[in-house]
Amino acid sequence: MVTAGAARPRPRRRRAAFIAGPHVLLVPAAIALAAVSVYPLAYGIVASLRQYRYGLDMGFAGADNYLNVLQDATFLTALGTTAKYVVLCVLIETLLGLGLALLVNRQLVGTGLWRIGIILPMTVAPVVVGVMWRLIYASDIGIADPVLGLLGVHGVHVLGGESSAFLGVVLLDVWEWTPLMFLILLAGLQTIPQEPLEAAVMDGASALRVFFDHVLPMLRPVLFVAIVLRTIDALGTFDQVYVLTRGGPGVSTQLFSIYAYNTAFLFTQEGRAMAMVVLLLAAVLVLAGIAIRLVRLGPGTR
Amino acid sequence: MKRRSRRALIYLALVAAQVFALFPFWWMITTSLKHQVEIFGGLEFLPQAPTLDNFAALFDRYNFGPFLANSLLVVAFSVAGSLLLGTPAAYALTKLPTESWLQRQALIVVLLVRMLPAILLVIPFYLVLANYGLLNTRLGLILVYTGLNTGFVIWLMQSFLAEIPRDIEEAALVDGDSRLSALRRIVLPLAAPGLAATAIFSVINIYNDFLIALTMTSTPDAQTIPVGVSTLIGKIQIQWGPMAAAGVVGALPIIVFALIVQRHFVRGLTLGAVK
Repeated sequence: MVTAGAARPRPRRRRAAFIAGPHVLLVPAAIALAAVSVYPLAYGIVASLRQYRYGLDMGFAGADNYLNVLQDATFLTALGTTAKYVVLCVLIETLLGLGLALLVNRQLVGTGLWRIGIILPMTVAPVVVGVMWRLIYASDIGIADPVLGLLGVHGVHVLGGESSAFLGVVLLDVWEWTPLMFLILLAGLQTIPQEPLEAAVMDGASALRVFFDHVLPMLRPVLFVAIVLRTIDALGTFDQVYVLTRGGPGVSTQLFSIYAYNTAFLFTQEGRAMAMVVLLLAAVLVLAGIAIRLVRLGPGTR
Repeated sequence: MKRRSRRALIYLALVAAQVFALFPFWWMITTSLKHQVEIFGGLEFLPQAPTLDNFAALFDRYNFGPFLANSLLVVAFSVAGSLLLGTPAAYALTKLPTESWLQRQALIVVLLVRMLPAILLVIPFYLVLANYGLLNTRLGLILVYTGLNTGFVIWLMQSFLAEIPRDIEEAALVDGDSRLSALRRIVLPLAAPGLAATAIFSVINIYNDFLIALTMTSTPDAQTIPVGVSTLIGKIQIQWGPMAAAGVVGALPIIVFALIVQRHFVRGLTLGAVK
């Protein structure tokens, strides 16, 4: 390695270091990344072809796990619940986040403070978010049931009924992740040049027209990135639901990840759980492929 | 007049959003400061006789001493390890010719690893760690977190490093500095704020993780704070006071950190896709 103290310039060595340098620095990180992604995934795919009982490997099972999973009504229900959950959450969060971003994107008294207040929910651990909402929804000490009573809905325990528990979990997700949508979309709005908008207003366009004709088209790339990122994260939702309902009552809030977790760690059928996970992986890869096309890659391209 | 009432509506909507966002915090914090009797005594928005008993109970009865120690140890080693692995790699990526094949592929792989939902990885992790006898050890957690967080560090750091003008570094090279000393004297000082932000985001990510810690650990020998919080919920009769206090312990340090880096939030969460 050439050091700072080298008095005589040694161009050839320096060139060698320059060419070899960057690639060499990538190696340790590449090994670490492979160790936590390629290796476990390969291991998992092999495991999905084997039969596990009580955590013990009982031998090769071929496609049994996959066939089993695809015929499992509970699994299909969990997929449906997850799809409903993801669509509902992402939709509400996008609309609310966009609305809030439009509200904040102007001269306001104490701009920074509004922002901090809004983003606080997404900073805390999902487990803690689960605790917070457990305290709100609790039927004996919570505040949700009395509030519903004030609104004329009596005798409902949020986490006691199937549809109310599902909506309760969605509300939690909206509370926690609308801030992310808000922040990304606000950042997007702030990069939009103001002149064309002002010109349109001068020409007498209404606020709605300006939004749909000028703001929305320019915001579209950022909007896509935000939606894809949030969709992928929402597909894997686990912590809050585990703390809040463990998937109940019944299977009303049993998302994909909760069912896969139960299969692997409660029923100790790791092979079958891996088969579920591999199916999800395929879905995520498709989404991630879309995301990567949208996210502009690398330095110098911004 | 119409203009003024529109402004009033905007502020009204913002105040409503703030109340919605902040109320759960308020409810948890006040519950954590109430006696058992008061918690069940009806809806009170302020504790009548504030007490720290619930917090004391966490450490006396619910193992929060070991949980906290495990969390601090695991976070410290994993963040240090992933910064050491990821920062040089990020630097190397910014030095490769822009848009080169290797740079593109490397970033795609890193991004993919970040996007994998934790549930995809925990089952194989569990099987692999069991093979090596690393289940329920802090070392096992450190290895997993270090590897996973390395991808995050690479993404974020390359986005910060790419902002340092090449000219400055090249000027130092022309002046006779070696690449290593240019890195040390010029690049790292300029990247320091980005490095700090990356470190803080890493602390948040790892401290907040639940699913990996839940599946890899089973006793207070290695369980971290989020897992500790969840152990309070599994009980048949939930102790609301200690549970609220546990939530406060889980949230507080992270909120402080988060406020420090909130300027970089968008970049941290979208991996530099949006600034």
